[in-house]
Amino acid sequence: MALFAPTGLLGSSLDKPTEPVPEAGPSFTLNGLLGASGSSSGPSNVFTPNGLLSEASMSSPAPEAPLGAGPTFTLNGLLSASQDDDDDPPTVAQAFGIPAPVSDYVPSFSVKATTFDGKTVYLRRKPKISHARRTVALGGFTERMGNLLDVPIHRLMEGLSVDTAAKLQEADREAAASVSDPEVAIEDTLWVDRYRPRQFTDLMGNERVARETMTWVKQWDWCVFGKTKGKKRPRDDDEAFDAADEYRRPREKLLLLSGPPGLGKTTLAHVVARQAGYEVMEINASDARSGSVIDDRIRPALESGCAVGSTKPVLLIIDEIDGATGAGENSNTFIHKLLQLTSDKPWKKSRSGKGRDPNAKRPILRPIICICNDQNAASLVKLRAHALQIRFVRPADIHTVKRLREVCEIEGLKADSRALTTLVGIARGDLRGCLNTLQFIKSRNQEVTETIIRGATVGMKEAETSLISVLNSLFTPLTRKRVKELGLTEAEETKYVGRLSREVDGCGRESSIAVASFAHYATLHQHDANFSRYEKANEWLVTFDLLSATMYSDGDFALSQYLPYTLVPFYPLFKERSGQRVERSQADWEAAVQTRANEEIYKSLSRCLQTASTRRGGDFRHLVSTPILQLEFAPYINRIISPPLRPVNSQVIKPEERALLSRLVDIMSTLELQFFQERAEDGQLTYRLDPPIDVFVTYDGKRAADIAVSRYAVRHLVAGEIEAQMISRKVDIVERAKRGKHDFFGKSSAKKAGDGDAFSSPTKAPDASDPPNKRARTEVEVVIDIADKPPTDFFGRLITVPSISTTKAAERKNVEKKYRVSYKFKEGNSAAVRKPIKIKDFM
Amino acid sequence: MSLWVDKFRPRALDDLHYHQGLSARLKSLAASGDFPHMLFYGPSGAGKKTRVTCTLRQLFGAGVEKLKIDQRVFLSPSKRKIEVNIVQSNFHIEITPSEAGNYDRVVIQELLKEIAQTQQVDLNAKQRFKVVIINEADSLSRDAQAALRRTMEKYMSNMRIILCANSTSRLIAPIKSRCLLMRVAAPSDEEMQTVLSYVARRAYFDLPPEAAQEIIKDSGGNLRKAILVLEALKMQSPDLSGPLTIAKPDWETYCQKVAVLIVTEQTPARVMEIRAKFYELLSHCIPPTVILKTIAEAVVSQVDETLKAEIMHWAAFYEVRMRIGSKKIFHLEAWVVKVMSLYKVRLFLEF
Repeated sequence: MALFAPTGLLGSSLDKPTEPVPEAGPSFTLNGLLGASGSSSGPSNVFTPNGLLSEASMSSPAPEAPLGAGPTFTLNGLLSASQDDDDDPPTVAQAFGIPAPVSDYVPSFSVKATTFDGKTVYLRRKPKISHARRTVALGGFTERMGNLLDVPIHRLMEGLSVDTAAKLQEADREAAASVSDPEVAIEDTLWVDRYRPRQFTDLMGNERVARETMTWVKQWDWCVFGKTKGKKRPRDDDEAFDAADEYRRPREKLLLLSGPPGLGKTTLAHVVARQAGYEVMEINASDARSGSVIDDRIRPALESGCAVGSTKPVLLIIDEIDGATGAGENSNTFIHKLLQLTSDKPWKKSRSGKGRDPNAKRPILRPIICICNDQNAASLVKLRAHALQIRFVRPADIHTVKRLREVCEIEGLKADSRALTTLVGIARGDLRGCLNTLQFIKSRNQEVTETIIRGATVGMKEAETSLISVLNSLFTPLTRKRVKELGLTEAEETKYVGRLSREVDGCGRESSIAVASFAHYATLHQHDANFSRYEKANEWLVTFDLLSATMYSDGDFALSQYLPYTLVPFYPLFKERSGQRVERSQADWEAAVQTRANEEIYKSLSRCLQTASTRRGGDFRHLVSTPILQLEFAPYINRIISPPLRPVNSQVIKPEERALLSRLVDIMSTLELQFFQERAEDGQLTYRLDPPIDVFVTYDGKRAADIAVSRYAVRHLVAGEIEAQMISRKVDIVERAKRGKHDFFGKSSAKKAGDGDAFSSPTKAPDASDPPNKRARTEVEVVIDIADKPPTDFFGRLITVPSISTTKAAERKNVEKKYRVSYKFKEGNSAAVRKPIKIKDFM
Repeated sequence: MSLWVDKFRPRALDDLHYHQGLSARLKSLAASGDFPHMLFYGPSGAGKKTRVTCTLRQLFGAGVEKLKIDQRVFLSPSKRKIEVNIVQSNFHIEITPSEAGNYDRVVIQELLKEIAQTQQVDLNAKQRFKVVIINEADSLSRDAQAALRRTMEKYMSNMRIILCANSTSRLIAPIKSRCLLMRVAAPSDEEMQTVLSYVARRAYFDLPPEAAQEIIKDSGGNLRKAILVLEALKMQSPDLSGPLTIAKPDWETYCQKVAVLIVTEQTPARVMEIRAKFYELLSHCIPPTVILKTIAEAVVSQVDETLKAEIMHWAAFYEVRMRIGSKKIFHLEAWVVKVMSLYKVRLFLEF
């Protein structure tokens, strides 16, 4: 006992052996022992360290070795002793971490030590570091030891116990504090953030959605991480890759996550990206999102493949994309640019070497995830076709409630599941909203009960509602469940106006609702004997339209508060408990698109008419004006250009048919209507009319019955003729440009000569001369020879110059052309007789 | 090669085939040297523009037929570009301000001032003034009309204005009072007959009078339409023999179909069917007012006497609302439902 006491004292921490030390006093001199261990009092010792070393266990000399080196004792002796003292396990020198100080005393570079098993260990000396460490350690130790000695041990022990007690008390107090007001102390983060899922397995509810997203992201592995990764096991979804894509990217290079707010779309995207080993780059509504952003920020990041200062590949998340610009036709919008980005063709592997164009767009080899609330947003129309769409739906309430209960437990909030269910019901599964509400409730130290939930969520149900949900509530009465969720009484349930108008107002898209209600009401199967309900519904729609048209045209938006009320009447008129869900009808939208397309065709037709009228001296200009073009010209020109021609060789055609053909060709080429050859999907060649004005006689996809379908061969014939005519006209223009000067003079002289009414006869002349001319042409050749054409001026009218000027001009021309006289004056011949002579005399 | 409509269009006042009294008046006006602002009005295809051109020719001689057609770009107050086609000769300019839509005021102001502030350059011109022809004057906005009225007085020395409109009802009174009103009525059947046979003669073929009668009956006083029909007919069946079918514009045929649908059945399903047809018509850019009018007339011709007045009343009622409103299909369908309900009530009373 007495022998072991020092062991206990030295081996363990100092504060423990309060009792045994004084008791050990008789057999040992305590001072001596301590003196031996403390370096300062070493020399005054009566005690022989050797005896101690031989008798005591090896643990005591170990600390002593460095410290009490002063007296008679050599370190070598110690080591050898430890080697000899075989039975006592405690001391391998290195096990105590003493070798360094030991080595300090040894002159050689390494110390040889032997373990109990007889293994020899060489300890290398580490000069500098170990020295520094030693001094620090030593200094600290000695100081403490010194202090310790100054204070009597029992006092020290007392102090220690007091300390411990204080510490414990502190902890208690802290614990108490944390129980009483945690928000004040810790609550600087939102619960939403604190309980945000960090891993894929934390994700809750929409498992299928999460998995689909993950699958899509994983499909990029081959492209992003190379062939080895993700190839470990052959997957079934390998056919999802685009075979034509050399990078083996998924077929849809964009992922579009859509769903109501608060279900965790953004979180899902981030979690999946991190899990799949990507660095996330996020663009959201707080960033500028114009087309130039794509070029300036996104493209560089995606092309380089990883973000600055990171080795992970980048994954782009575009949050709230439905707010980005993109609805317009403009090619500079965000969406358009984004699509361009994804559809860039991969580089052609040029065999000719390194001739790569540095400015060429590089293909994008990183996944892009787009997130939006409303997947039907107008700005996303183009995007939808190119993206894999994954739709979030509200997870089953039970999952949400479960997660909420877990959170409540962690936060020490007492919540009954009834209350939580109510909360989830009111929030429509919006987990974020639920958590925020709970946190809000907790900040007031309340228990979570149903009434408190009701109080806290006032206004939440008025949150922005989607178009579809508004429509559904317009056309279907509240379900029992929903009534219960909202805690409405019977009387409140029957009051629909306030509720619905608020909902319509909250949606903020009255005109879309009106259109959708218009599309929906007639599909309902309610008996309506005399159409009275239909009449009323239409009355309200018309009222709505008048109101909104006035509002928009006059900019008087004060009226907008009345708009929702004009849509509410659909509820009493058409509510159906078991009616099918309202689908958004595309009819109106499609009609609008079709209208726009047709307007374009009208525009190109009127352009054709204008060029024709420029060419023909303003002939067609009266047909361009708005109602005439649509109501009269478009239907009849289609009939005029589709005569019953037989597909025969143009050489053997009958004279009357030839006349018909040439007139057709004339009209079509004047109006610049052409047939373009095109290969249909089934590989058959067809001729397409351009501009496609035949849509104006096509209703319900059927052409007018009285217009013969022109066959391929006929169109082929006509197309050839038109082309010939066009070419000849071009040649004509070139020719005219060559002799432009003469023409110009001829005309101006003509104008001077015959001003005023004298012109009435020449203007008639073209009319009179045209038909015979035409006949002549048709009989001779189809390809009109320019020579056969009478000279016309710029507007295509015949140039009929009064005889005097014509003859003059002709004379002048003739002079120039026929008699080219060239003469040379021979210099130096002095024998010549010089005499003034007129050119006339030469002729 | 022009269409017959243009090719055989009379160029001088003397060549006109009907309304000789009007021609004589125009001639004397042109000769008097004191030419007023004028407003030609009358139904479509009656020959307003033809008469305007002839009058111009009477005023300035054949120089007005030397036309230049180009496009001018105007800037709207919101810096949007508006393109307007302009047809002009040395002596006159022809514009259709309704091409500029809501910004017709800008066109009127800028263009007219520009023209009015410059004098006639051509010293040989017969008249000291230039003429501005404004087509589709009845679709001018109120602002544009207001912009016009002062200009018409202020620059009287340099410029005369000829307005061309289908009806005077949409023009403001101050404009009407500043103009000499010229009504160009639609030609009578006989007059149309002479014109058609004239066209046939000039085109070197014989038009059987029965065919001409058919065309005239179908065209409803619209001579331009009649000539277009004639040309289409000639192209489609060159020998004009056998039973002739006079081609109706497709939208009109389609409207007839809709009318039949309304009368034959009155059910929600039918309402949907008709709605699809309305969408089809609207997407072919047929003006909704024309659709409503055509269908209403077709319906009226098929129903009981007592209903006719009511149907027309509601057609008028909804057309007014449609003009004010922006979503045309609502109003069209509202009318259809109204007519269906009237029809049903009527049937109910009968049995």
